[in-house]
Amino acid sequence: MDILFLLIPLSVGLVFFILGGLWWAVHKGQFEDIEAEGERILRND
Amino acid sequence: MIPVNVLTITLPEGTQDQAVPEKERLKLLDDPQEWAQFSHAEGDGRCASSVVFEGMHCAACAITIEDALLRVPGVQSVQVSAASHRGRVVWTPGSTRPSAWMEAAARAGYRAVPANDAHAHELRRQEARRMLWRVAVAGLCMMQVMMYATPAYVTAPGEITPDMVALLRWASWVLSLPVLLFSCTPFFKAAWRDLHQRQISMDLPVALGMLATFVVSSLGTFEPHGPFGAEVYFDSLTMFVFFLLAGRWLELRLRDRTAGALEAVLNRLPDSVSRRNPEGDWERISVRRLAVGDVLEVLPGQALAGDGTILSGQTQVDEALLTGESRPLHRGVGERVIAGSHNLSSRIEVRIDQVGAATRYAQIVALMENASLSRPSMALVADRMAKPFLVFVLLAAAAAAWHGWSSGPAHAVMVAVAVLVVTCPCALSLATPAAMLATAGALARSGVLVRRLTALQNLASIDTVIFDKTGTLTHDAFALAGIRTREGVAPEQALFWAAALARHSLHPVSRAIWAEARQQAQARGALVALESQALQEVTELAGQGVHAVLVQGAQKLALRLGSAAFCQAPELVSERLQVSLADATGWLATFELQEEVRSEARAVVQRLQGLGLSVQVLSGDAPLAVAQVAAAVGITNDRGACTPQDKLTHMQQLQQQGHRVAMVGDGLNDGPVLAGADASFALGQAVPLAQSKADFVLMGGHLGVLVDTIERSRQTLRVVKQNLAWAAVYNAACVPLALVGWLPAWAAGLGMALSSLLVVLNALRLSSPIPAKPSI
Repeated sequence: MDILFLLIPLSVGLVFFILGGLWWAVHKGQFEDIEAEGERILRND
Repeated sequence: MIPVNVLTITLPEGTQDQAVPEKERLKLLDDPQEWAQFSHAEGDGRCASSVVFEGMHCAACAITIEDALLRVPGVQSVQVSAASHRGRVVWTPGSTRPSAWMEAAARAGYRAVPANDAHAHELRRQEARRMLWRVAVAGLCMMQVMMYATPAYVTAPGEITPDMVALLRWASWVLSLPVLLFSCTPFFKAAWRDLHQRQISMDLPVALGMLATFVVSSLGTFEPHGPFGAEVYFDSLTMFVFFLLAGRWLELRLRDRTAGALEAVLNRLPDSVSRRNPEGDWERISVRRLAVGDVLEVLPGQALAGDGTILSGQTQVDEALLTGESRPLHRGVGERVIAGSHNLSSRIEVRIDQVGAATRYAQIVALMENASLSRPSMALVADRMAKPFLVFVLLAAAAAAWHGWSSGPAHAVMVAVAVLVVTCPCALSLATPAAMLATAGALARSGVLVRRLTALQNLASIDTVIFDKTGTLTHDAFALAGIRTREGVAPEQALFWAAALARHSLHPVSRAIWAEARQQAQARGALVALESQALQEVTELAGQGVHAVLVQGAQKLALRLGSAAFCQAPELVSERLQVSLADATGWLATFELQEEVRSEARAVVQRLQGLGLSVQVLSGDAPLAVAQVAAAVGITNDRGACTPQDKLTHMQQLQQQGHRVAMVGDGLNDGPVLAGADASFALGQAVPLAQSKADFVLMGGHLGVLVDTIERSRQTLRVVKQNLAWAAVYNAACVPLALVGWLPAWAAGLGMALSSLLVVLNALRLSSPIPAKPSI
């Protein structure tokens, strides 16, 4: 079970890593217009 | 002045805030040219500005802003809407500047931004983004903290080593930090601000709760043998923060959607237009520089920037948001188009007749803004109750903590936290305005303008509807009912001649004759002959008639069109309106006119009666004519020959008998009656909106929406009552539960978020569009 002493701090690091990815997605506007990408194929231009 | 140009050019999205420091941004707005963009003159040299406030969280914030701005000398009145975050500030340009009161707002912790530029939209987008990011951080950390907390719940004491327990707590603490330091900042900031100003708002108890939980849990982690024991509540903390934030985020999104209908109308003008310059070329200019008399080119898909007349081309336009008329309307050369409508099918050139605040569009926008800011009386009561309630909550939490302290400080603190978090006057404050704004938005899309939100509340309880006849049950215009002529004169010929004279007059009777003649001529293919009749010496005598000389080749015909006396014609016995035509030898023809009853009037009256309302007609016209119209639409209770004073007295009598009266008028002649009624409607597109005294304006000029409005107002009142009842029941049930310690902090957070959300969702049902009835 000693491995947990390594894995738990690692998981904390992983959370921060994922948060970084989420930050990028939110601030790139990925969640702002969710329908538009799907509808794009139906548009002419 | 160089700085002016800094703002008038459109900066790329998202860079405005960084490019101009806050102080300078406010200074720029002091330029009269700049503040004219979001303000208009109020009379008495005062100015009314529309602004959006950033950083508002709850209904109490609106009151804080109002108090802060009113302390600025020169600010006359402030109205802030908690539901839409928009505000209206009336101030005197002589004694203050926009930067002065905007700074006062900033000191109170809110950023004021002019409402009608792209800035406000950009601001909302950034706010939504920040909010989402806060929710995301809280959500992700919550899930992970939950993982670390699970072993403590599922294992028996001693099953895991104390080292491992300490490690898990340490990890939870690390992941709670970003939640507390980042996700919770809006709560802390707002609470700090309120403390600073010796005020109390909904954020204060919540922030206290968060801080207390974190402190107790941190002590449990690093000092397990201290007074608070070894218990940690990181899972509770992250969970209730997540629930609260998620609730606010959803509320924000819903609010944006509700405000959507308003915004859609508000933001309809294009930013730039294509104008013909003196050399005859097209140039793009900012819509602000547009002037009366400019000729614009409007391509399909573009919006009109001002009211104007089509010079060339014909097209279909969409005026749906302005009049509620959803069908495309045909417009040809010489016809009028209005600002904010959309050109649908082909290119047109338009001469601008009215720009800026003079356009019908601007009047509509001003009305809608004012309406959305007015506080319904029921909401005022709720707002007043919120503050004492918050004080009670703080006292109750303190009492709970004190009471439980002896049996375990950590547990006692957590009970207090649950009390702090669970209470939500937010739901109470939002209950009324959210519902009424949603209704106002839906009505606006159907072409009904609501001037005061309180009127919706009044309208729901009316039991009597009084119509003024002319212009409401009937069209404004007359229709030709019959022609009697001298022997040897064909009716068509008489109408033809009469039309030549009528064309030069704007009298309603003349317009009716001209319209009828035109229609007949078109059917016979003689339109050119009708329109090419040449007249000389046209003279119109007010109240009597028109006389002129008609030139037909070599023949000249002196004609008179007007009252029987003017034409020296025999007066025929009839209850209808008459107009005579005469030539040099005497009487030629008499035209009988009647008012045209609206085609939908009968069905509307039936639907009103079906709703249990008593329907009456009051009119200044001859009793016989009134009775005829009333019979035609199925109304049994009618009175003619009423002066405006008679109408008012009659209505007041009804009100004294305990009836609640709605009045429907044309919005021009019935000022006092409309103002005295419990709820009032004005009809017709000719009404100058700013002067209209009615609570509701039916912009499409169609009666059918009247019934829809009444039905929707009843529905609105039902929803408001549901909301208020829910908020009351929720608090009555949850506060005692939390006080006795049966409600954990995370459940309290969930409860508070859900209670606000439920209120907004319930209100949102009202924003569904009113189904278009088949035209009746």
